[in-house]
Amino acid sequence: MDNFKKKFVEEAVDLIDGLEKTLLELEENPEDEAIVQKVFRVMHTLKGNSGMFGFEMIDSFTHEMETVYDMIRNHKLSVSREILDLTLASVDHLKILLDEDNYNDPDVQANHKMLLSKVAQIIQADSETSVASSPLPTANNNLNGDSDKGSSYYILFEPNGNIFSNGTNPLYLLDELHTLGEAKVYAHLNRVPPLKDIDESLCYTYWEAILYTESSVNDINDVFIFVEDESNIEIQKIMDGNVLANEQFVSELDNLSSIQKDIGFNSVQRIAVNISKSSTTQQNVQVKGKDRVVAKDATISSIRVAADKLDMLMNLVSELVTTQARLSLFAEESAVPGLVPIAENVQKLSRQLRDIAFSIVLIPIENMLTRFQRLVRDLSSELGKDVVFATEGAETELDKTIIESLADPLMHILRNSLDHGIEDAAQREKAGKPKQGKITLKAFYSGANVMIQISDDGAGIDPETITQKAIAKGIISADRKLSKREVLELVFLPGFSTATKVTDVSGRGVGMDVVKRKIADIRGEVEIDSEKGVGTTITIKLPLTLSIIDGLLVKVEDTHFIIPLSVVDKIYAVEHEKIAKTFNNVVVLDGKQVPFFYVRREFGHTENTEKFEQVIVVNFEEKSVGLVVDTVIGEYQAVLKPLGKHYKNQDMISGATILGDGTVALVMDTNKIIKLFANHKDFAMEGEE
Amino acid sequence: MNQDNLSRINSYLSFKLGDEEFAAHVGKVLNILEMTKITEVPKAPVYMKGVINLRGTVLPVIDTRIKFGMTPTEYTTNTCIIVLDIDVDGETIQVGALVDAVQAVLEIEKGKIMPPPSIGSKYKSEFIEGVANIDEKFIMILDMDAVFSTEDVTDLLNKTEETQSTTEIEEVS
Repeated sequence: MDNFKKKFVEEAVDLIDGLEKTLLELEENPEDEAIVQKVFRVMHTLKGNSGMFGFEMIDSFTHEMETVYDMIRNHKLSVSREILDLTLASVDHLKILLDEDNYNDPDVQANHKMLLSKVAQIIQADSETSVASSPLPTANNNLNGDSDKGSSYYILFEPNGNIFSNGTNPLYLLDELHTLGEAKVYAHLNRVPPLKDIDESLCYTYWEAILYTESSVNDINDVFIFVEDESNIEIQKIMDGNVLANEQFVSELDNLSSIQKDIGFNSVQRIAVNISKSSTTQQNVQVKGKDRVVAKDATISSIRVAADKLDMLMNLVSELVTTQARLSLFAEESAVPGLVPIAENVQKLSRQLRDIAFSIVLIPIENMLTRFQRLVRDLSSELGKDVVFATEGAETELDKTIIESLADPLMHILRNSLDHGIEDAAQREKAGKPKQGKITLKAFYSGANVMIQISDDGAGIDPETITQKAIAKGIISADRKLSKREVLELVFLPGFSTATKVTDVSGRGVGMDVVKRKIADIRGEVEIDSEKGVGTTITIKLPLTLSIIDGLLVKVEDTHFIIPLSVVDKIYAVEHEKIAKTFNNVVVLDGKQVPFFYVRREFGHTENTEKFEQVIVVNFEEKSVGLVVDTVIGEYQAVLKPLGKHYKNQDMISGATILGDGTVALVMDTNKIIKLFANHKDFAMEGEE
Repeated sequence: MNQDNLSRINSYLSFKLGDEEFAAHVGKVLNILEMTKITEVPKAPVYMKGVINLRGTVLPVIDTRIKFGMTPTEYTTNTCIIVLDIDVDGETIQVGALVDAVQAVLEIEKGKIMPPPSIGSKYKSEFIEGVANIDEKFIMILDMDAVFSTEDVTDLLNKTEETQSTTEIEEVS
C-alpha cells in the first residue's frame, strides 16, 4: 500500500507542478477555456486519486477548488486575480498536504481552514450573483423555445485494449451515461477475435451511444475523464431535443446497427435530420457542429522512468564506451582478419547508443521555469514592483543533474535582479524607462555548451560603488587600476554584497560567490556584464552533459591527457626551436600572434628533444591560446570519472578516463589550466627565480 | 553485522617500508596489486603519486613512504599497491598505498597486541593501533583510517631523525 501511496505522491507532485504552470498561463489568458478545462481536470484527478489513497484533506480541499473551476467553466464565474491568488496559495497548501506528517501541524490546519473558508466565500458570492442575474439563456435555447432543455448527443467510446489493466470497467462508464439522461447504447463486438485468439485481458468491444441529457458536453466528457487519454472518445451533438423520443429514429438506428458494423455520427445525424424534417418544423432542428468535442486517442508519447534506472543506464553506456575503446585497440593490434570492421561497427553503434542515452537524460529547462515564473510573480508584488518575466529558448535541453543543481543559483540570481536590479516604478519613470520592469531568461546552445542568460533592465551595477567597497573591505588596494570586467568580477568574491541594506529577499550573506561555486560544481562558468542605468546580464555557460565528452587525446611526457574537443580550434606542428626560443611566449600561427604555454615546463618536466612540438589552439574567453604538447594521438570519447577526494584541490584536471590499454588519462580543464598558468607567469616574472 | 564479523577476524597484512615492518587489519585491505603504470596528476601534493585504473574506477595512489616522512619509494620488483578502504568523514573511499614489499598475513590474537607505548615511542600514538611482537620482531599495527584521511604529510615519527625536508623533495621523473 505504501508503495501505491508513494506513486500517488509522485504523480500528485507532477500534477501540482503542472497545475502551477497552467495557472500562470491562465493569468495571461483568463478567457482561454481550454486552460480552465485543464485546471479543472487536474483538480478532478487529484480529488479522485487522493480520495482513493486516503489523503482526505487533499480530497476535500480539491473538491472545493474543483467546484470553483467548474463554475468558471460554466461561465458562472470569471477568472479574477483574487481567484488566481487563492488557487496559487492552494497549490502551495496542497504541496504541504502531500506529506502526511504535516496533517497534525496546527499551522497547516489553520491554513487549511482559512483557505477553505475563502473558497467557500467565492462560491457563496457567486451563487448570489448568479441568482440575481438568473441562468443565462443561451441563444440556441431562445431559438428553440424552451419546452425541451436537453439535447441529444452521439457518443463513440472506443476504449484502449488495455483498459482493464488499470482496473477500469467500461460498463460502469456506460452506466454513468445512463444516469445523465436517457441513453441507448449499441455495443460492437465485431472486433472480438475467434475464441482461440482471445486474450482475456484485453477489451475488444467498443460502444456507440445516443444520449439525451440536460447536462452539458463537459459533463459527458467528465464521465470519461479517467480514460480519455487512452481511448478514442467522440462526443457530438446531434440536435436539441430528445431524438430518442422519436420511435422512427430508434427503429432506423436499430436497423442500421444490425446491418452495419458501426453506425457513425454521420448516419445518425442524417437519420435525425430526415426525421426532424418530416415530423417537426424545420426551425426546431439545429444540427450543430460547433459543440463537437473530439478527444482523439493520444498515443502514449512518453513514459515515466525511475531516475536511478537512468543513472544505471548511463553507467552501463559509459562502461560500454570504455570497453569498446579496448576492443578497437585490440583489433588494431591483432592481425585477425575481419576484426577491425567489427570493432568499427561496435564503435559506431556504441556512439549512437551513447547519444541516445544522453538525449534521454536531457530535459528541457522549461521544467524549472515555472518555479521562477512563480518567484517573480510573488516577489515582485511583495516588493511592490511591476515586473514581467520573459523566457526564451525554454526548449533548450540540459542534463537532468545539471538542471537540478542549477535551480538554486538561478533562483538567487533572479532574487538579486528583482531586489537590487529592477527599480520601483517611480524611479523607473524618472529614468525614462517603461514602468514595468523586465527580466529575461534566455537559453541557447553554443557549441557543446548551453548558455543561460538572465538579463534585467534595472539599475545596473555601478563599477565605482564596487571599487569603493572592495577598497573599503581591503579586497583590492586603492591604487590598483582594474578594467570594468575585472571590477564586475569582484562581486563573485566571498563576503562581497553590495546591497546597502540587508533585505529579506537577498543579501543575507549568501552572495554571488555561492552562485559561482555551485555553478563551478557542475563544470559551469558565470560571467557578469552590467551597464549602469541600463541593466545587468548574467551569463552562465554550462556543459551539455556531465559524464562523457568528446576529447582530443594528447601526450605530455608519458602522461596521457584529454582536451575537450569543444574548446579545440586547430592543431599546428611547430618546430621546437621556435617554441624554445621565444621570450614572450607568443608564436605566430597563420599570420596571427598566439600566446602559448609550454605544458611540459608548466608541469615541471624537462624540455623536449623532439624536433616538432604540437601546438593545440584552444578557445579561452573568446581568445585563442596555444597549449604545447608532445604528441597528438587522436579523437577520443572520454567517460569522465572523478579523481576522488584526495584530489579535490586539483582544479586543472576535471576528471580522469580509462584508455583502451587500461591506463588512465587525465581530462584537462583548459580554462582553469590557462588561468593558472597565466597567474603563474605573472608570479614568475615578478619573483624571477 | 559485516563490520562485527570483520572485527572478529584476527588477521593482519604486514608490509615493509624500508626496514620497518607494519601491519594493517585485513578488513581494511581490498586488494594487493602489482606495481603498474601510475598516471601522475600534475601539481598535486608530492605524496599523491597519481591515479591508476582499478577495474574501471580511478584509484588515487599514495606514496606511503613520503606520507610517513620517509624518502620517496623506489620501484623494485617487490613494490606493491595495497588497495584500502578508508573512512573519511563517514564516507568510505578507496585509496592505493604504495609499499616497498608485502610480507604476510599474520594471525595475531587480540590479547597479544600491546597498546602503543606512550613514552619513548618512536612513532606517534594516534596512528598506531598497537604493537605486536612476532618472532622477536616488533610490528606496528596502523590505524589506516587515521593515516590516510589526513591531508598533510603525516609525520609518523615522533621526533624526526630524518629531516622534514625529505618530504619536500621534488621528484623529477
